[in-house]
Amino acid sequence: MAKEECKALLDALNKATACYHHLVLTIGGSADSQNLREELQKTRQKAQELAVVIRARLTAPLRDRGLGAEERAEFERLWVAFSGCLDLLEADMRRALTLGTEFPLNKPLRPLVRTGVEGGAANVAARALSARSLRHEAERGFDVEDLHQLEREILQVGEMIHDMEMKVNVPRWTVQARQAAGAELLARPSAGVSSMRGVSVEQRTGPCDLSKALAATIFSAVLLAAVALAVCVAKLS
Amino acid sequence: MERMVVSMQDPDQGVKMRSQRLLITVIPHAVTGNDVMEWLIHKYCITEEEALHLGTLLVRHGYLYPLRDPCHLELRLDETPYRFQTPYFWMSTLWPAAELDYAIYLAKKNIRKWGGLFDHEKEHYDQLHRKISHTWDLVVMQAREQLWAAKQRRKGDRLVIACQEQTYWLVNRPPPGVPSVLEQGPERNSCTAGRVQKTKTVDFYRREVECLRKALGRARVKSSVCLEAYLKFSSQRGPHDPIMSGCLPSNPWVTDNDTYWAMNAPSAAVPTRLRVEQWAFSFRELLEDPVGRAHFMDFLRKEFSAENLSFWEACEELRHGGQAQVPALVDAVYQQFLAPGAARWVNIDSRTMERTLVGLGRPHRHVLDDAQLHIYMLMKKDSYPRFLKSDLYKDLLAEAVVPPETKRRVFPFMRKLRHSSPSPALLPASASREPSGGDGEA
Repeated sequence: MAKEECKALLDALNKATACYHHLVLTIGGSADSQNLREELQKTRQKAQELAVVIRARLTAPLRDRGLGAEERAEFERLWVAFSGCLDLLEADMRRALTLGTEFPLNKPLRPLVRTGVEGGAANVAARALSARSLRHEAERGFDVEDLHQLEREILQVGEMIHDMEMKVNVPRWTVQARQAAGAELLARPSAGVSSMRGVSVEQRTGPCDLSKALAATIFSAVLLAAVALAVCVAKLS
Repeated sequence: MERMVVSMQDPDQGVKMRSQRLLITVIPHAVTGNDVMEWLIHKYCITEEEALHLGTLLVRHGYLYPLRDPCHLELRLDETPYRFQTPYFWMSTLWPAAELDYAIYLAKKNIRKWGGLFDHEKEHYDQLHRKISHTWDLVVMQAREQLWAAKQRRKGDRLVIACQEQTYWLVNRPPPGVPSVLEQGPERNSCTAGRVQKTKTVDFYRREVECLRKALGRARVKSSVCLEAYLKFSSQRGPHDPIMSGCLPSNPWVTDNDTYWAMNAPSAAVPTRLRVEQWAFSFRELLEDPVGRAHFMDFLRKEFSAENLSFWEACEELRHGGQAQVPALVDAVYQQFLAPGAARWVNIDSRTMERTLVGLGRPHRHVLDDAQLHIYMLMKKDSYPRFLKSDLYKDLLAEAVVPPETKRRVFPFMRKLRHSSPSPALLPASASREPSGGDGEA
């Protein structure tokens, strides 16, 4: 179904935008590095590809006048979410550009702000690209060219948004969102859970997981001891 | 401020960094209030008070945030630890804060704390939900995804990022009672401040002198006189004002009953009492009301001086009419009212008549202004007081209708439901049904 496809693509774009936001947060801070800039570039390229695909998929049904009212409402909902996502992405890209120009990596005269954030964000980018892990292949002067590229991409996204507004007329005030206030407190939808299971397998770093692993081993040891005792009791009786 | 913060980061000359120890995690890059103060004093050679003020400004604008008591943004001169804010959340990058971002932040906080938002945050949440309810899907999706993205990092990083975001929103959406640093006073607006510093050349002073001389020559009214006139106006008009003294029969905006408008229409057959009383306030009132003007014309006919009012009306038409008709109209007015031996000759004094005749050679819109003014003053001083004392006027007053106030219904639940005017998006067929329903009620 076209709608399910669109929803899945929109979820992927949403994920990419959220990860990009998370990565842009740390530009200029103590975790800034070539790797971070590379991750940013990969994430935003993925987000842009997804955006182009979604736009093609959504424009066709919305321009089709013969569509039923409920279907149209559904597509309009998706459209509103899509354009909001794209706006967020564009805003983050602009901020990344200003921050990137203010905090260039190769000039030691301007030190990075010591924000206390350390450690890589490779996992975040990997999550955005739905990949298992990320390889870093950038050369030294990467961030400067990347900024030029970023400028061009911002213009492209801006044009895309403008195009979207001109071609499809969706009055925002008539769209009713599915989620009510406080909907985020309800249980997560099942689509998210399955994707999480894949990624959580990798996560072994960090002292907090160490304590969890410790608790798990103790529990299993106790369980084994209980089973062994039960077997002994059974054998004896 | 941002340059100051960046220079604080210098590894050799910047502020001394310590580490923050939480239960298991160690997060570096914490500074104490004392360190910040000392660095400021040392670098800028300022007094302690100034350094304290500067430091407090830094904290209030969110460049530095306290780690122990995040809700109170102030600089303390003891060992309380602080940390620097990431450049993403600096004032210059994210100015002004967007509603959608705030909504996403509140949704994230909701998820993390299981609905444990502060009161003002709950209010904001409800407000935002009303304002941008169409994008609420996006808000929820983004909130969930951002939390999952954050979980990909180490615990220490996660804590730091959460603190950073919290500080940013504390600065941009301060809780009630905390003064917002974002409000700019009038003196910070640079465009007005720039104009004061003009070079005082000779020309400038010449212009000033000219301006002041003109100002001296202007006629001024004493404020006591002004205020008296104002008071008189207010007391005279008070009972006539629909807002101050209520309108009879009822306020159409409240009860959907438009009798009030029908009765006070410009061409109503029987004027209301208030309207007739208004004609006594000034001559201008009488002339501006079409019904009043008609009655005045009747009165003048009885006194055989109706040509004055006709002449005045013709001059008004000339002044406000089309440009193409001006020459023809001037000619017609002259033939009818001003020529010697004209059918309806008006009595204008000789000087005004001379001036008008000269001007008639080049007719334009305002050529008859002097004559019109003369006639107007004549009518005002002579005919108008007589009109007010005449029997005609007194009869009008007696006949004028005072509409009764609509009775309030005794049973409140039988009151007609007040509905707002139909939305323009509705079809006009339904809109046309509304006023007929209203009239049937009245």
